[in-house]
Amino acid sequence: MEQSKQVIGIKEYVAIILLMISTKLTDDTPTILFEYINNAGWMAPIINGIIAILPIYLLIKVVTNYQDKNLAEVSDHLFGKVFSFIILLPTLGIAFVAITIDTAIYTDIIGTMYFTKTPTIIIYGILMLVCAYGATRGFEQIGSVAWTVFPYLQFSLFFSLILTIGQGNTAFLFPIMGDGTWEVLKESSLRLSIYADFLYLFLFFPYIKSAKVFKKGTWLALLFITINISVSMICYVVLFDYKTIMQLNYPYHEVIRTISLGFMVNMEAFFLPFWLIASFVRFSIYLYINAILFGHLFKIKHFEYLIPSLATLIVIIGMIPESPTFTIFNIRDKLFLIATPLFFFLPCLMWLVAKLKGEFKNASNIRQK
Amino acid sequence: MQAILDKSKIILLLTTLLFLSSCWDQREAEDLAYVIAIGIDKNEDNENSVRITYLISNPEVGSAAQEGGSQEPPRELISFVADDFISSRDLANTVIAKEITYDLLRMIIVSEDFARDDHFIRWIYDATKAMELKRDIKLIVSKEPTTTFLQNNQPLLETRPHQYFEKILDTGKEMGTTPDSRLYQFFRITEADADLFLGAYASTEKEEKKQPRTNPQEITAGEFEYEGESNVTQFVGSAVFKEGKMIDALTIEETRLAIMLNPTLKSGNFIGTIPDPFDEKHRIAIRIESASPLKFDMKLKSETPSIHVTVPLLLEVLSNHSMEDYQEDAEKRDMLKESIQEDLNNKFSELVKKTQEEFKTEPFGWSLLARKKFLTLSSWEEFDWMKTYPDLNIDVSVKVDLEKFGRQSDLPRIEEIRD
Repeated sequence: MEQSKQVIGIKEYVAIILLMISTKLTDDTPTILFEYINNAGWMAPIINGIIAILPIYLLIKVVTNYQDKNLAEVSDHLFGKVFSFIILLPTLGIAFVAITIDTAIYTDIIGTMYFTKTPTIIIYGILMLVCAYGATRGFEQIGSVAWTVFPYLQFSLFFSLILTIGQGNTAFLFPIMGDGTWEVLKESSLRLSIYADFLYLFLFFPYIKSAKVFKKGTWLALLFITINISVSMICYVVLFDYKTIMQLNYPYHEVIRTISLGFMVNMEAFFLPFWLIASFVRFSIYLYINAILFGHLFKIKHFEYLIPSLATLIVIIGMIPESPTFTIFNIRDKLFLIATPLFFFLPCLMWLVAKLKGEFKNASNIRQK
Repeated sequence: MQAILDKSKIILLLTTLLFLSSCWDQREAEDLAYVIAIGIDKNEDNENSVRITYLISNPEVGSAAQEGGSQEPPRELISFVADDFISSRDLANTVIAKEITYDLLRMIIVSEDFARDDHFIRWIYDATKAMELKRDIKLIVSKEPTTTFLQNNQPLLETRPHQYFEKILDTGKEMGTTPDSRLYQFFRITEADADLFLGAYASTEKEEKKQPRTNPQEITAGEFEYEGESNVTQFVGSAVFKEGKMIDALTIEETRLAIMLNPTLKSGNFIGTIPDPFDEKHRIAIRIESASPLKFDMKLKSETPSIHVTVPLLLEVLSNHSMEDYQEDAEKRDMLKESIQEDLNNKFSELVKKTQEEFKTEPFGWSLLARKKFLTLSSWEEFDWMKTYPDLNIDVSVKVDLEKFGRQSDLPRIEEIRD
């Protein structure tokens, strides 16, 4: 990488992953899971967390083998330039579609739940402007911001969930198996890609202090994310029951509007700023990922200059869908299904090729650019 | 690079400013008319529109701002025909100067006539659409049209309308005279399509006296008779909703029994009276409190599905008009206990019978417990609670624990005084 070496430690790394993936529990990801798995939707993050161990383990094995290379460079090394391009292009495509529809969803949340009269383009524009600014500051800066805000965000989530449990009823979790064991397993594993962000994390490998920190951080983050998402989803069911939850567009935002603390009935005003900060950090990282991949594929050295143009492009494309609440919901669901095989099979393939090429025995392939 | 950084810093600061002021959605508290309650009535002329009543609170009343000596009333009422209560906002602004907002909306009041209408559910679901409407607002059913209800309601002491409604509903919930009736519970129960929803039931019009009652708690809204100088509004009993439509009303006693049988609700301590076993003429005042969680024994998959409920209750005897010497005579205490148990057992069984025969399902939230007996949703939906409930073998047994006999337990024997 051409950029001056910015290295982050385990705290920042874990905070980044948690903000990247845990924020999914506040958008329509839970709704998608509940839609197909009904009241057992909360099991999906756990099941997927267990399945995700395999690709993540294999990928760690492969990538940590080369000390200074990120995922894209490792793939170049393993598959050769041409094949690597063919593999990485769809990876970039998915990343780009993901950030576009996710930002569109977040804009829709802000527009429908909080600022109903503000034009969408303004909300979208400001959201992307802040994120683009964050992303241009570089990985290290994003990491330190993530770590600074992380405790507050986790606390606000925790606080909202405690209030939720107090006002809910655990009987709503029953019948415990939802549509039946097999259905739950099938429908959850098809949406394994809720954790696909982990794949992109390997692009940051050279920025992490050491391979040990990277390994430890990744596993820790996986554990925390699984707990965060499934506990929140349990709370949603406990407050609303599954029939209602399938009809809600954005359960988290309905939750914070429903709960009250003593005389304070409008609690959403308290939780909104925390959620906004989390979203800013999340999309900053997404933008950065897109820029790294794009820069790598098209040989652009100073990829951070790409970020503003990417952000603009995202706003333009993200504004296209009509009635975004429904259209994007469907696109997002499709994206989950498409990204799942990539997330699962790419690591397996990389590991297999590395194994066949005998890369693991050959410890001297460090820095043989 | 540094110059770029500085510039972008300024841009960031400016954007945050833009965010904070949120130009388009900016509204000053001074310029808003706060609707505290929306009343919805049927429109007799056209069934595709409804009559909307707004209760608008004057935020200045009771605050320091009023000390200037302004004589503004605490509330404003406006009632008109509109298509729904979302579009009605702009219509109301032809009369009300300030912009109407639902930010502080705490209640939706519907008339019984409208609640019993098949189309009621179409309008009430508008509440899930509007941005400011929160799910924990309360649903109240008024016996008369809501326009009349809100007009008649003139609390003498709690003049600020939101305070009055909040207080009376909270006390009602505490005493068990009205159920805690929240909109999201209504939606949840309607969507789950298994149980009945109990809503708060109120009236400002007294009913003509029917016949003298032996039990003063066997009343619903409009049946409580009182005199004096007070508000005419009474919150008594509950409105029963089945599948999003009102079907009946429960008396105070039935409401309390239903709350006691509901494992999801926390029952407060209810004070009531039951017949005295030693003298038919008198009634004993008792305070009932649940001693421990209800015990359920559900056998749903057997040939004759049955539910056995044990209701453990703590009881305090508060009056003793037959002047019996309970503190000395253990036998009499046992007799009293047995008679109370029998009386309560009968009442519970009667209510359960009523739900099975008249309502065909229950307001006790039992379906949630029944759900635990099923592993998958499909088997639960096949079981079809609403269909099976009327034929279930239900048996409620009360386990009474006599706690105290009031502050002074002993009373003089009436025979000794009158000898």
